[in-house]
Amino acid sequence: MSTAALHTDHHHDHGHHEHKESFISKYVFSMDHKMISKQFLITGIIMGIVGLVMSLLFRMQLAWPDEKFGFMEMLLGKWAQDGKLDPNFYMGLVTIHGTIMVFYVLTAGLSGTFSNLLIPLQVGARDMASPFMNMLSYWFFFLSSVVLLISVGVETGPASAGWTVYPPLSAMEKAMPGSGLGMTLWLVAIVLFIVSALLGGINYISTVLNMRTKGMSMNRMPLTIWAFFLTAVLGLLSFPVLLGAGLFLIFDRSFGTSFYLSDIYLEGVGAMENIGGSPVLYQHLFWFLGHPEVYIILMPALGITSEVISTNARKPIFGYTAMVISLMGISFLSFIVWGHHMFITGMNPFLGSVFMILTLIIAVPSAVKVFNYLTTLWRGNLRFTPAMLFSIGLVSFFISGGLTGIYLGNAALDIQLHDSYFVVAHFHLVMGSSAIFGMFAGIYHWYPRMYGRMLNNTLGQFHFWITFITAYLVFFPMHFMGLAGVPRRYYMFTLVKEFDVWMDVNKMMTIAAIVGGAAQLLFLWNFFYSMFRGKKSEQNPWQSNTLEWSAPVEHLHGNWPGAIPEVYRGPYEYSRPDREDDYFPQYVPDESDHAGTGGDGHKTAPKRKSTKKEEVAENVMFAAIKRVFGWS
Amino acid sequence: MKNYHLSGIAAFATKKVFSAMFLLALPLFAIAQTATDVVEPPKEFSLANWDWEFISYFVLAVLLILITARAFDIGALTERITGKKVVNWNATNRWIAIIFLLASVAGIWYEMVNHGKHVLIGDSYSEHGATIDSMFNWTFGFTFVVFVITEVLLFYFMFKYRYREGQKAHYYFHNNKLELVWTVVPAIVLTFLVLRGFNTWTKITAEKPKDAQEIEVFAYQFGWKARYAGADNKFGSHHFTFISGKNPLGLAVQDHVDSLLADLKKDTALLNKQIASAGDSAKAWKAAFVKFNTGSNATAYPAVYKELKTKMEDAESGSYLRQLKKDLRRKNTTITRITTYRKNQDVFNNAGNDDKITTEIVLVKGKSYTFNFRARDVIHSAWFPDFRGQMNVVPGMATWFSFVPTKTTEEARADKGNKDFDFYLYCNKICGGAHYNMKIKITVVGSDAEYNTWLATQTPFVAPPVAAPAEGMTPAQDSSSIVKPNTVTIR
Repeated sequence: MSTAALHTDHHHDHGHHEHKESFISKYVFSMDHKMISKQFLITGIIMGIVGLVMSLLFRMQLAWPDEKFGFMEMLLGKWAQDGKLDPNFYMGLVTIHGTIMVFYVLTAGLSGTFSNLLIPLQVGARDMASPFMNMLSYWFFFLSSVVLLISVGVETGPASAGWTVYPPLSAMEKAMPGSGLGMTLWLVAIVLFIVSALLGGINYISTVLNMRTKGMSMNRMPLTIWAFFLTAVLGLLSFPVLLGAGLFLIFDRSFGTSFYLSDIYLEGVGAMENIGGSPVLYQHLFWFLGHPEVYIILMPALGITSEVISTNARKPIFGYTAMVISLMGISFLSFIVWGHHMFITGMNPFLGSVFMILTLIIAVPSAVKVFNYLTTLWRGNLRFTPAMLFSIGLVSFFISGGLTGIYLGNAALDIQLHDSYFVVAHFHLVMGSSAIFGMFAGIYHWYPRMYGRMLNNTLGQFHFWITFITAYLVFFPMHFMGLAGVPRRYYMFTLVKEFDVWMDVNKMMTIAAIVGGAAQLLFLWNFFYSMFRGKKSEQNPWQSNTLEWSAPVEHLHGNWPGAIPEVYRGPYEYSRPDREDDYFPQYVPDESDHAGTGGDGHKTAPKRKSTKKEEVAENVMFAAIKRVFGWS
Repeated sequence: MKNYHLSGIAAFATKKVFSAMFLLALPLFAIAQTATDVVEPPKEFSLANWDWEFISYFVLAVLLILITARAFDIGALTERITGKKVVNWNATNRWIAIIFLLASVAGIWYEMVNHGKHVLIGDSYSEHGATIDSMFNWTFGFTFVVFVITEVLLFYFMFKYRYREGQKAHYYFHNNKLELVWTVVPAIVLTFLVLRGFNTWTKITAEKPKDAQEIEVFAYQFGWKARYAGADNKFGSHHFTFISGKNPLGLAVQDHVDSLLADLKKDTALLNKQIASAGDSAKAWKAAFVKFNTGSNATAYPAVYKELKTKMEDAESGSYLRQLKKDLRRKNTTITRITTYRKNQDVFNNAGNDDKITTEIVLVKGKSYTFNFRARDVIHSAWFPDFRGQMNVVPGMATWFSFVPTKTTEEARADKGNKDFDFYLYCNKICGGAHYNMKIKITVVGSDAEYNTWLATQTPFVAPPVAAPAEGMTPAQDSSSIVKPNTVTIR
């Protein structure tokens, strides 16, 4: 038994942590998964601030295109002469904002933080399968972040071809200023990032598959672990394709190949030599990563939400198996829908029809998840901790943004909506806001686990409501703009008379964005202040069931001082009628509970004793459905 | 843990504020690096140039927020000391949730009323546009119902099931029938939407209508041009190597291509000379730099200094020579290509001489049009929002879109009650700095006569010889007859 061997192995040297560690090996080049997770989180937060500030800058440009902002010149130098943002730099800001948010905050910052923190703690492992690779994963990410930030400062400006960097715009130095050194650095940063993501992903998968503690069968894993695991699989299969796409692009840029280039006459250069390439090839390769990528972003957030909602509703997550299957379904489908980003690129219209059908199928598992979340909340005992609020916010965004996916996935509607503000609204809600709310939920929920201290609850409540309301105020009106025909990535709208009606809305959105951005200061204060002065955490502050709360508050190298706890049941046994407490941790043995029989905890749980009142409520709730389907 | 003394809090908060501000400013410094790298150094560094008004507002705002944050923390401290909850957040949040729900409804209502017809999809002005709009309305119907039900339930549940001491949640983890319902029902609805969408999409995009008049739409950084076949109803051939200042669309017109070829040959001769003397030029740049770089010249004329320095360094490192060789190779390839195609009589059949290149698109109401798209440099996207049409314009790839306009510009103006209204074709794929200003006006007229009058005002690409009668100036055929283009695309 490999697990058993592992247990004894670690049992021998669990006193490891008492060795005096140097500052560097403890805080810098640490191989401890908890420290690495903190490193990911803080780097992610810093990158998030950069991305946020950038978005505020270009939102100000959109709201007050004729206004001059002295501080912009102060900040951006030649890119904002006389306080007016340069159109090329506007594109650069949009591009880097997208890149940072998608890859650096919501992929590495979210998945990197919580996969690292929770996988070993929740499956009952001393550390990751390969702590060294884990450390490399962080440092590649760090290096990549540094390269990306440097690229913002180069003379010709950062990459500015949109976060998707479609060639030929991104492939030719003379096509726009940002396609020079800035673009090269962007590609270098992304290659480094992919290395980091792959090193992390391999680790997560092998840890989940091989290092679960005794009793932790796959169907007793918390949904967080399922989400992280499937996310890692997605990343492992799709990131190499982006690596290929990026390498081809590097070749086209620097070595005169024609993978993506053909029949081009560039102003100021003349007719190019390249013949026979296809820009659409890049789009296929990019979106083969790009689409799974949105689930790489979203699924960990959904996993975190499942855990947080169940814990704080004091209720088992409704339909554990359905949740896992829908995660798997989403993962599988995400690989065969990339073409819905390309309906109108000129690819064969029949291909468009196929991708449309496959895309709309994704709505089914997504709907299942939403309904399951709602049913989990139904008749719960909801504790509105900030984490719970952010999770509910996620569900709300997931609904709002997910439903518009049905419009955009429909090829016929995409003719009109493609690249309009409707798309901006859609993905900022379903992928941006949802995932960042998942990340906040995770931070509020596991902060005590990370730093041994509690975050300030009141500040968290304010942080949530301000962020939630302003996020809706910023992104929801974008639907209306898109439907009215306002294109995305426009530097200003004043050159088109028809767009004048949206100026007030644009101003409102920018003000909301500034307020929302300022509200993040509350969070930052809370985060860094509580790190040193917060209230000391109890071992299990949320009365949660999962394994990470069985480890001591103080971080140990190896997580548990003694043997690794054994697991006796599923992770969501809240409010069991036969228990006095409203929670029943996975690691608490109980003879009457058929300990160690394996299988899902639910199966071994005693039958629910339902009261008359409950039955009445249930009957009223589902009477219509039962009537329709003729069930007794 | 340290003791909290009220007297110490002020000092403590100040310290924290500064450290937090520094932290916040870090990313700003990263962006500010651009300022140090500029070609022309910014105005002389002086604190007076800074936007102190903004800085003071910023600092004030940050201070205010952090002081608020601190105040909350003191609140938490009070709770900890007195052991009493100041605010019961579980009870408060249920009300906030309901207020939020009502406020959202009010907000959406306000938006619907205030922006009236702009909200939801506007009127379409093409035949197939109606099918897209009906698809939209069906989708909107379904999603709106789901949206309202789920969001209302979500916030209602927040209201209804908030935490109460001693209350126990309903132990309910599973119901196959229920889960089956919400798997199957969305599946059915989606099947309906997919089938309808499939039909609509196929009808719009699968085949070029056979009886449509073709118009070429040419995209470049940053503008559009339209090309109408001339009197012979044939589009002249084109190739990207033929593009020149006089021949912006690269049509196969002998005079233009020959003069381009001559220019290119001149260029290559010059390049050859420059390559031969590259060693000398390196010395010359160095000499020029040394001569310039005396006294305070470097600081007085930073632009010249920078240029000379770059030139000198490029020449010394050989990157100047590499660039010359690269240019030479590129131009030689172009010359070879042009020479090869020049011999092809199918290409140079003068069909393009009478083509009309226009800066406006004029269509006749009720007629079917196919737009053939061609890009010169990068990907653009042709979006006709009012006609529900969009297609990417990809270099090296032929794309098209067809539609039938159903109302004239005048009628649309009357519809919208806006006498300045015009149809436009926008660029909708990021294509560079001036992307936001890349559009071309579309005018829909009511009759062939109006269209012909307009077309007559457009000059053919190559003016016909003076001796010939002005046949080419007016369309030889009735433009209502079918235009069958005969374009040879060179590969």
